[in-house]
Amino acid sequence: MSDPLLASINAAAHGLFAQSARMRVLSENIANAETTGKTPGADPYQRKIINFENVVDDANGVDMVEAGDISKDTAPFRTEYMPGHPAADDKGYVKLPNVDMTVELADMREASRGYTANTQVIKQARELVSMTIDLLRPSS
Amino acid sequence: MQPLQLFDTAFRQNDWLAQRQSVISANIANVNTPGYKAKDIESFDEVVRKSLPMAVTDAQHLAPADVGTATVSDAESSQAEVLQSGNSVSLEDEFLKSGDVMRSYSMNTQIIKAFDRMLQSVTKT
Repeated sequence: MSDPLLASINAAAHGLFAQSARMRVLSENIANAETTGKTPGADPYQRKIINFENVVDDANGVDMVEAGDISKDTAPFRTEYMPGHPAADDKGYVKLPNVDMTVELADMREASRGYTANTQVIKQARELVSMTIDLLRPSS
Repeated sequence: MQPLQLFDTAFRQNDWLAQRQSVISANIANVNTPGYKAKDIESFDEVVRKSLPMAVTDAQHLAPADVGTATVSDAESSQAEVLQSGNSVSLEDEFLKSGDVMRSYSMNTQIIKAFDRMLQSVTKT
């Protein structure tokens, strides 16, 4: 069993990684919020969802987190009447992505809150380690 | 007489605090993992009680096994709401606990320092 403080820095680093992967998927969603298909009746961009998984690190017995598979949101697409659009079907309706900006922004807030929490943990673990190292410092 | 037991106790509690900190950081890392239950380790009192050696007064007595590590279990949730995802981590609780760890750890190292100064003042003169 290795040092629990280093293990906690490791767990927090995994948390940072998972939250930043989530941030990436969210920004893909936001960037593609209006991406339509090119041919008549084609499906537009489908919203992506990231899954977090709990992984136990065998060496330390600490619960790590890992960003798992990215799946597609199966919610129905929005439609809008735009007869001149290249992706319009025979009735003139265009399918738009099932991305809801408010949901994405709320998710982003949550991701950044999680990220901040993890950086805080790393800071604190470092401080604990340096307290122990300070024991070796000769006192004046 | 056990002259240096203070060092031992302080270091043992620091050990326990470090373990607790690693459980807290695992909780925080999993704050968005569906179905994850917040965990905590058993209290320091419990660990000390388990690892205090019983006196062996007869050759036939079995010496107790050394139990130095704390066990991890699911913490009872203090959260009023139950999330749809089944996750029971509350960031506020975790930060409260980690503040606790910080304070105690700092106090322990200060105690160790003070005791070390006392020993040195004896040996130097």
